[in-house]
Amino acid sequence: MDLLASYQATKKAAEKKILIGGPLAVISVALFLLVGLNSLVVQVLAGLLFLTGVILIIIGSVAFNKMVSDFKHNFLKGKIGEWIENGVYEPNAGLALDDVYRCEFMRHADRFHSEDYIRGSLDGVQFEMCDIKLEERRVEHTKNGTRTYYVPFFTGQFYRVDFNKTFNGSLQVLETERPQSKRPFKKIKMESVAFNKVYKTYTTNDHTAFYLITPQMMERMMKIEQDHPGNIGFAFLDDQMYLAIDNNRSLLEIQMFRPLDEKRIDAFKHDFQLIKDVIHELKLNQNIFKEIT
Amino acid sequence: MDPIVVLLIIVGLIVVIGLWYIVTMNALRQLEVKVEEADSGIDVALTKRFDALSKLVGATKGYAKHEAELFEKVTKWRKGLPAELTMEQKQEFQGRLNEVQSGINVAVENYPDLKADSLFINLQNSINEVEEHLQAARRLYNSNVSTINQRIVSFPTSIVAGMIALSKKEFFEAESAKRADVDVSF
Repeated sequence: MDLLASYQATKKAAEKKILIGGPLAVISVALFLLVGLNSLVVQVLAGLLFLTGVILIIIGSVAFNKMVSDFKHNFLKGKIGEWIENGVYEPNAGLALDDVYRCEFMRHADRFHSEDYIRGSLDGVQFEMCDIKLEERRVEHTKNGTRTYYVPFFTGQFYRVDFNKTFNGSLQVLETERPQSKRPFKKIKMESVAFNKVYKTYTTNDHTAFYLITPQMMERMMKIEQDHPGNIGFAFLDDQMYLAIDNNRSLLEIQMFRPLDEKRIDAFKHDFQLIKDVIHELKLNQNIFKEIT
Repeated sequence: MDPIVVLLIIVGLIVVIGLWYIVTMNALRQLEVKVEEADSGIDVALTKRFDALSKLVGATKGYAKHEAELFEKVTKWRKGLPAELTMEQKQEFQGRLNEVQSGINVAVENYPDLKADSLFINLQNSINEVEEHLQAARRLYNSNVSTINQRIVSFPTSIVAGMIALSKKEFFEAESAKRADVDVSF
């Protein structure tokens, strides 16, 4: 049995426990409510069934999480090393919140989480990325007291790519966000009406905006937006390019009750292609954007 | 109606129209300044392109004599690009540069050693970059011209534009046929 098949077998076994434990817990509650209110025997039986169901769910969940962790550490790590030059994958690591704020368009978060850190080089262009989740705190005052809860406002991928090219001024191309920066950004319009409808362009130097966003790049940015629905933001600051895609998903997500096979691995690879697409779409791999030594 | 009220309404209207005139005139003047800035951006980019091309001509003199001679003709413009050049003349200047560059591109095709030379490759990269900047300057200029021209022809801004003798600006046209030739891909 190959490695992938063994992960799939482990995953199935974990899911089986959850599949049994879940209905068992539900049945026990139903049993208790329907016939157990006046019968001690039924109450004990329902209690035992409920306990068994919950234990099975816990065991299944723990096994599933362990399988996911093993899969990421022992399988995906190697695959990403194959897919990307000098590729490094750290499932439990991520960029710091300060790194994310460096794009200067991300709103302040009260709670932050990042994982699935990847860095490497594609066609000679260095990049790093991770999944991030930013949440803001909400406080609700009711007659029963104060309730504090967190609402996510960004769940998706954050990329930082070396630009290898000095340019004057700064540029942000944002779908819905606004610059959160002390730089003197002003909103400008590009020539394309369609592009202006999707993205708002903010720059400190008009020439830089027209230099970086060529008509071809506009088309490619539009295509990225079409291929990856969600809230997208680009920033070109201090020789770095930042890309944030708020698509409400993880890049390397392993879902329960969905097969973990070669097809899924291909889907990961395809998802991963985004990084390459971004570099290619923005022509970062071309000589004009490469450091001339 | 009380004559004082009528007078106040007339004075009020004059003040409102006067303020609108000043605001509109300032907005048009600001747009005009933006067009002029973008115009000077084109001058800078054209000059840079000229400089980069003169280095390339120097490096390929032995291989592309005809182009070197052509370039000499452009050199008479070198002090070239005086401030009073019209947009049409700038386009012509760019056309000449394109002509020289595409000629060099064809000429060096026969010299693989030259194409592999690091100095030559660096010059090509530099020309690519300058070309990107020129395109950006042209697009920025045309974008600003488009904005001001729209304002100039729109009523009632057109009245103010007429009063301050502001006329429609000329676009900097890309010579697509020649530009295609100039695509530097050695």
